Amino acid sequence: MLDRRTLLAAAGAGLLAPPLLMQAARAATPQAGSRILVVLELSGGNDGLNTVVPYTDDTYHRLRPTLAIAPSKVRRLDERFGLNPGLAAFERLYKDGRLAIVHGCGYEQPSFSHFASMAIWHTAMPQGGDTSGWVGRLADAMLPAGDAAGAPIVNIDSAQSLAVASRRHVPVVFDDPALFERRAFFSQRGLIDAAPADVPAEGQGERPWLHGIARAARDTSAQVREACARYRTPVDYGLVPLDLPKVAALIAADMPTRLYYVAYRRNAFDTHVHQADPHQRMLTYVADAVAGFLRDMERIGRADDVVLMAFSEFGRRASENANLGTDHGTAGPVFVAGKPVAGGHHGKPLDLADLLPDQNLRHTTDFRRAYASVIEGWLGVPSAPLLRGRFEPFALFA
Amino acid sequence: MSVRRWLALGLGLAVCALASAAPASWVGDLRPINGEDWNEARAAHLLERAGFGGTPQDIRRLAALTPQQAVRQLVRVPRDADGGLPAFEHSGLHHPGLDPFPPSRPAATDQARDTGQALGVRVKPEGNRRLQPVVDEFFYWLRASKLETDRVGQWWAGRMLRSEHPLVEKMALFWHGHFATHEDKVRDYRKMLGQLQLFQRQGLGNFRDLLVATAQDPAMLSFLDAGVNVKGAPNENFAREIMEMFTLGVGHYGETDIREAARAFTGWNFEGTRFVLNRERHDDGEKTVLGQRGRFDGVQVIDLLLAQPAAAEHVAGRLYRFLVREDMPTGMAQQLGALWRSQRYEIAPLLEILLLSRDFHASAGTRIKSPVELVVSTYRKLGVTQLPGIPDFNDTTGALGQRLLHPPTVAGWAHGRGWITPGLLMERGNFVREALFPDFMAPAPDRVPAGTGVGMETRAVHERLRRGLDISAATLPANDKEGGEAMAMSNRQADRDEDFNTRYGSYRGWLRAVQAVKPIPRSMANPDLAAIVQGCGSATAAAAVDCLVQRFFSVPMDAATRAAWAGWLARELGTPQIDRARSYLEDPLRGLLHIMLSHPDYQLG
Repeated sequence: MLDRRTLLAAAGAGLLAPPLLMQAARAATPQAGSRILVVLELSGGNDGLNTVVPYTDDTYHRLRPTLAIAPSKVRRLDERFGLNPGLAAFERLYKDGRLAIVHGCGYEQPSFSHFASMAIWHTAMPQGGDTSGWVGRLADAMLPAGDAAGAPIVNIDSAQSLAVASRRHVPVVFDDPALFERRAFFSQRGLIDAAPADVPAEGQGERPWLHGIARAARDTSAQVREACARYRTPVDYGLVPLDLPKVAALIAADMPTRLYYVAYRRNAFDTHVHQADPHQRMLTYVADAVAGFLRDMERIGRADDVVLMAFSEFGRRASENANLGTDHGTAGPVFVAGKPVAGGHHGKPLDLADLLPDQNLRHTTDFRRAYASVIEGWLGVPSAPLLRGRFEPFALFA
Repeated sequence: MSVRRWLALGLGLAVCALASAAPASWVGDLRPINGEDWNEARAAHLLERAGFGGTPQDIRRLAALTPQQAVRQLVRVPRDADGGLPAFEHSGLHHPGLDPFPPSRPAATDQARDTGQALGVRVKPEGNRRLQPVVDEFFYWLRASKLETDRVGQWWAGRMLRSEHPLVEKMALFWHGHFATHEDKVRDYRKMLGQLQLFQRQGLGNFRDLLVATAQDPAMLSFLDAGVNVKGAPNENFAREIMEMFTLGVGHYGETDIREAARAFTGWNFEGTRFVLNRERHDDGEKTVLGQRGRFDGVQVIDLLLAQPAAAEHVAGRLYRFLVREDMPTGMAQQLGALWRSQRYEIAPLLEILLLSRDFHASAGTRIKSPVELVVSTYRKLGVTQLPGIPDFNDTTGALGQRLLHPPTVAGWAHGRGWITPGLLMERGNFVREALFPDFMAPAPDRVPAGTGVGMETRAVHERLRRGLDISAATLPANDKEGGEAMAMSNRQADRDEDFNTRYGSYRGWLRAVQAVKPIPRSMANPDLAAIVQGCGSATAAAAVDCLVQRFFSVPMDAATRAAWAGWLARELGTPQIDRARSYLEDPLRGLLHIMLSHPDYQLG
């Protein structure tokens, strides 16, 4: 019987047509479930209070005399919360029961540095000192043997995220799929695509690591390129699709990947100054892209298999600053969206009457509980070993 | 070439290979190497790190000096030395109406509505799209500044390639990553250029002077929102970054220190390309920063920061990782920090210690080259003397993750393994292909909007307008198609305002910008690999491979790989004898070099 490795090797040699091959690979992998998690990072520190707005709370309006969103403007979810006016697409998801809001996610002794706090969210280690990311460790738990062709993690970005750093796997990281290829002339092809020789790790510095990356690139680039080039969709993902159409293309092509990581890049949510318009606009882009992606999953018949989680490295200060913006803060909401999701509010909402001394929000939910919820509730992997502690999951899935 | 010369070269190779292997005990040892440790391999390493690599001729010249002389020649550069190269040639794009540039398009149109003009352009008194000229002007400057910034990047890379003082450019690159600012937010090439020139002028001087000058530099002030940091309403952005990124590093200050320091920097601002101190907006009250109390101003806070051992350790540590190796030996940051503080933050003496050290000379071939280093040093080793326009330098390095004047975040670029992903590793090989086999038919990216997003929209608007469609019809979003899905909210909203048309303004901005901005010359590399191989005296395909390995690689290549390369060359040449293929060597050698430099080990320097 053909196993997956043989099949993939056959693909590399061009022996099988890719769609047929990938279907066969999936069927031949008994342990591979079909559930997929997509993580979306909102970099820069999204202002949670103006995203999920406690519009009936007087304190909110007092803390933000100019930036508070008026009750008449919010997209009401209930008597307590409304969404930012830019989040039309999230409002629809929420009303369809497909959007879970996990309130107040943060951690003790919050860091106000983008890099330090993002590293904490990436590693899920507030005490620091870990070089692997939580998504990387999740891949290690899901697919213990290092297997580049299995492509357990795809990270679409110009640089690899710490979140996907794994002990056993080389994450497939690319930005533009059309460029994920060695360009060469016909006569060069065989040699330029040859795997680099194995080098002993001893005294070789970065060489073994580089060779591992080269092998991963060789083993997965053709699949990724062909999947993205072939993909056509009528779905409108909006002005800033956040690489989600590429994820859709890979899922549609039956890539064996079950963990995807994408980002709203370049600290976009760092809204110190004149934040109202740009913040609302960015939220619209996020909601358009996420809702478009989920509609696309429905279209290709994978809506039951895919869940997306969105987070930011911190929220912003409860009070506005003097420049019509907000400074680095603490806790914020995590969103989990998809057809399998049990929509609604989860976790205890933030208490604006109980601020930290510096006008910052006191987090109500350890962010690792949100991670544990998708790790256990969605992917069925025990979370305690990889989060290095027990964090009570929420029932986020129907 | 005589047999004797050939043998001597061969012997030279063997000696280099032996001598470059430093004893492991050198790691972490800051004592200088001796004269007898000095050879061509070490000179090549020095030039690779303290510059952008070099040809065998460059390396031989350096190796003929003593190690002290060689390092000094790189480090001790006369102030205001121009490296024998011309200054940046402005296209002449700016006019006074553009200052101060509004923070956003809505801000520009609001101003125009309220006051009847903005950006030096008046609102039309009557008719349709009365604000259109203002919107056009807004997009003109955005695009023109972006394109001119790319010319600044091209100019700078040209200096890296050709300067007599490569360490000046190398250190400017270091400081640009350390004090990262990004054109997309600064939106003014003049400020980006001014900051770069500051790094070129003072990058080897004194760190305190450099820090003060950078803190008062308009690009930095604009990037970190200085304009809104005023008395009674301090903005913490700059104070936080100066502590976290520029001096102390995370963990050596508290939140109160940031808030108090922000007050000291209130009133610091810029007008155009000039630093101004607005005394009315400066808070001269008492502050407590890092346990010290006083009516500090910004410069005094900088001195308080530099008095902390953590500042010297943090910055010297970053410099060490930039020049020597990613993994800093235990205690190295403390050792360097103490040394540097005793030198009163003079940069040149610290560099001399580092570049002469046994530690540095035990680090050859261990570091992953940054994209800019990869591209420039490849051209240098090819013997190219004018920075090619095809492939486009900025697009090439940008695709590899290091577009000059566009660092990804305020933390600058993540070095080491952060440069490499499966996608980026392939793209590095593709650069070599584009350099050796240029795509001379591709549209110039500094003229024609590229890509699928905004680029495609702009090209579509151009086509439709030229066909004679009206502005509304010409600017319909591409995905608003019959039978398609419902349009996303963001696309629906793009065109709702009737006073102006944003898509049309964006198109007009492109057109006016490319008419005004000087083009980047479309030159191509045209190396002479045949001469290089013949210069080595290579008689066989295998010897030609060895010659190119020696010239381009910083690590030895295994026999099997070299044999595979030699086999490919011999097949292309139709003979393993170089002599018999003398008249048609060049193209097969370029094909070979592309294959060779696509090897992962070429990333090491």
